[in-house]
Amino acid sequence: MKLAATSLCTISTMALLAAASAQAQTADALATAAKGEGQLTVIALPHDWCGYGAIIDGFKAKYGLKINELNPDAGSGDEVQAIRANKDNKGPQAPDVIDVGLSFGPTAKAEGLIMPYKVPTWSTIPDNQKDADGAWYGDYYGVLAFEVNKDIVKTSPTDWPDLLGGDYKNTVALAGDPRTSNQAIQGVYAAGLSGPNGAAGKADAAKAAQAGLDFFAKLNKNGNFVPTIGKVASLAQGATPIVIRWDYNALADRDTLKGNPPIDVVVPKTGVVAGVYVQAISAYAPHPNAAKLWMDYIYSDEGQLTYLKGYCHPIRFQDLVKTGKVPADLMSKLPPAAAYDEAVFPTLADQKASNEIITKQWDKVVGANVK
Amino acid sequence: MEQPVEVLGQVALARPRRAPLSWAWVGVVPFFAFALLFLLVPTFYLVVGAFQDDAGRWTLANIGALFQPEVMSAYAISLEISAASALIGAALGFMLAWAVVLGNLPGWLRPTLMTFSGVASNFAGIPLAFAFLATLGRMGLVTLLLQDAFGFSLYRAGFNVLSFSGLTLAYLYFQIPLMVLIIAPALDGLKREWREAATILGASPFGYWRRVVLPILWPSLLGTTLLLFANAFGAIATAYGLTGSTLNLVTILLYAQIRGDVLHNPNLGYALALGMVVITGLSNAAYIILRTRSERWLR
Amino acid sequence: MRRARILPWLALAVGVIYFLVPLIATFEFSLRILRGRYSFQAYANVLGDPQFQSTFLFSVVVAVATIVVGTLLVVPTAYWIRLKLPRMRPYVEFVTLLPLVIPAIVLVFGYLKLYNSSSILPLTAADWSTNVLLVFGYVTLALPYMYRAVDTGLRAIDVRSLTEAAESLGAARATILFQVILPNVKVAVMSGAFLTFAIVIGEFTLASLLDRPAFGPYLQLVGANKAYEPAALAIIAFAITWACMGLIQVFGRDPRTASRPAF
Repeated sequence: MKLAATSLCTISTMALLAAASAQAQTADALATAAKGEGQLTVIALPHDWCGYGAIIDGFKAKYGLKINELNPDAGSGDEVQAIRANKDNKGPQAPDVIDVGLSFGPTAKAEGLIMPYKVPTWSTIPDNQKDADGAWYGDYYGVLAFEVNKDIVKTSPTDWPDLLGGDYKNTVALAGDPRTSNQAIQGVYAAGLSGPNGAAGKADAAKAAQAGLDFFAKLNKNGNFVPTIGKVASLAQGATPIVIRWDYNALADRDTLKGNPPIDVVVPKTGVVAGVYVQAISAYAPHPNAAKLWMDYIYSDEGQLTYLKGYCHPIRFQDLVKTGKVPADLMSKLPPAAAYDEAVFPTLADQKASNEIITKQWDKVVGANVK
Repeated sequence: MEQPVEVLGQVALARPRRAPLSWAWVGVVPFFAFALLFLLVPTFYLVVGAFQDDAGRWTLANIGALFQPEVMSAYAISLEISAASALIGAALGFMLAWAVVLGNLPGWLRPTLMTFSGVASNFAGIPLAFAFLATLGRMGLVTLLLQDAFGFSLYRAGFNVLSFSGLTLAYLYFQIPLMVLIIAPALDGLKREWREAATILGASPFGYWRRVVLPILWPSLLGTTLLLFANAFGAIATAYGLTGSTLNLVTILLYAQIRGDVLHNPNLGYALALGMVVITGLSNAAYIILRTRSERWLR
Repeated sequence: MRRARILPWLALAVGVIYFLVPLIATFEFSLRILRGRYSFQAYANVLGDPQFQSTFLFSVVVAVATIVVGTLLVVPTAYWIRLKLPRMRPYVEFVTLLPLVIPAIVLVFGYLKLYNSSSILPLTAADWSTNVLLVFGYVTLALPYMYRAVDTGLRAIDVRSLTEAAESLGAARATILFQVILPNVKVAVMSGAFLTFAIVIGEFTLASLLDRPAFGPYLQLVGANKAYEPAALAIIAFAITWACMGLIQVFGRDPRTASRPAF
């Protein structure tokens, strides 16, 4: 009996070791194949966004591959369009990997534009943030916050209803056009989830969208809304002293401006919406092995923690915290964790319903009558 | 009127070897070949795309969608702002060009204005939008200056740079230089002798204008105004940067469909662009008709 | 006479104020990068960036190439239309207006479909051929301005008489074009060249989607996430482009006609 148990142990240990070395072999084989391809083409990765600059440098240093960076200012739609336009093109204009808003994952998969691939840390990614086949999965998220120019706005707002008050005349702007930009649309949606009536919105996305539109109509009527797209330049100049932005962007701006002007980043008390971005490999990628290597890298502990350095919550955040891998000094740089307890993660169905309402009705409900 | 001139041309160029007509067509082949390869075929994709849906099937739904009230109002606002900036830009540009070419100003001003106009003609988009925010925004240099030095509040008087008039004002920044650059060579063609002759014959300055200058410059002025119109019509970056989430322009709608972050329908975008092409074609046709009529008096 | 002299100066004054004040406002903002005092730090940041120099140089070269190709394409065509094919004028003019309303993004997607690495004419397969595609794309974008400028210039001279006179003296067609017509429309061609140069330097869509290291994408990159540097960059780009145009003007000046008062 004992002999059988021992031999069973030995055999299973050897099997495990063999499997482990096979795994290591595959990783090495992948790295070699990727190096053979020579470069990776990425798109829409500004260096200040979620610390992508550090991630790109880290990847280049670790594997010695070249990275060709296309249009950092591209939106999610541009990225998918880039894959479509370059289907037959293996030149440097074709992206290998894309980083897009949640709702773009399924539509890109339906069109056959992305290919499935499961990274080694696959199992630690929450189920509701990934496609079952591995075609797309979340890489990071953040919540919408108020970015406040303290030189112009003396008291920072703490919640959405504050913005309607008399202290904030001609101050509030969205970071994009709510008819097209995901960030702006989520801003309207978040407003709809705020305040005492927020619970109704949490249950029904359409109600939240309508409530959000009503909020902005009121904001506009009170003269508090500035109908221009808020950027860090207009924030600093004073035209848009309060901008509704992803917290990681706001925090990165605070660093860039270096106190000139001083910036306050406030996560509202209610109406907190989390935005998840997903990574995917293009089905027409000219460098598929390099793409897979990139995916392995950003889902590794090293990659995910680099996202955290860029103020983004990596998708494996809960897992990393549980296994005690997050350094304390990094945690202290982020907004207090309590703010994120309120965060709502809209599902795909929620997003579809609310996007439809907000994009179509914005002009009617809020459309500043320009004359 | 065109026939006798053509005959004259043929007589002067009588070559025994080839019929003059086939020679003439060869001359424009490079242009049309280039236009075909790099302009017309991509445009063709646009025209085809306007009549398809996202699965590639033929449909008139996109064209039908052009007649929705939001889209119609977008075209209306685009046309208004294009016409306003074209007409005002043409008038002001003409006056500036006139001042520098025929106004007896110091000689070095003309080349300086020409090169400056070259740069300014393309100073558009986000930099221009920001420049106007920094000048006439609520915290803008001029706004604050007027407030501090003269106690005059621009915004209380009803002005707002984030409006139709603000956007038109911003558009003029590239419309006026465009007019200046293109009309200046035409002003060179106005010989001084004509002015002197007119004065000798007793014409007042106004008479000189009405009977000598305008008839000669009319086609160039109209053609350049049309160019300014099309230029403004197709502009998006400045509008987006300044009044991005409120003014409903056709170009913003178009870009939202073609490269939107959310819920986009590129075929509708192509249909919108097709509508713009048709409008440009119609205005060009109107210009040709007007010009042919006015040219009868020139030869 | 005295009365007439005020109007030109007034027009000039209004023009100067309108064009310079927004630039001054941008300049003033760019100086505010360090809190509490004015400094040129933003300019130092921009000028010290090696990408600034390399992308600007690339765009200047592409711009000059575009001007040359554009002139060679447009001047003979406009001349020919005016002389021999007046009936084609409406069609040619309509074609030249198209680039203003066809979004550049549609153009470049068309190019990617037509000239990608697996097509008959694989222009995107190599760097040099993609640059050629870029130049042709820019000639297309500059076409409306180039054509209108040259056409207006041709209108101001009597093309027919000049041609007939030259022919009666025995000149060949190429000689007429390059030695009689071109010098007479030099001012118009220069205007077209300025417009083309400005367009190419700042152009973003074509350069970005064809993945070329041009100045437009660099401007976009700096402008996206910074506050003071974009303002500094706008002023620098304005100044340098102005200087380049001044150079074009100097080189384009025909020494024989330098004494003419008009130019």
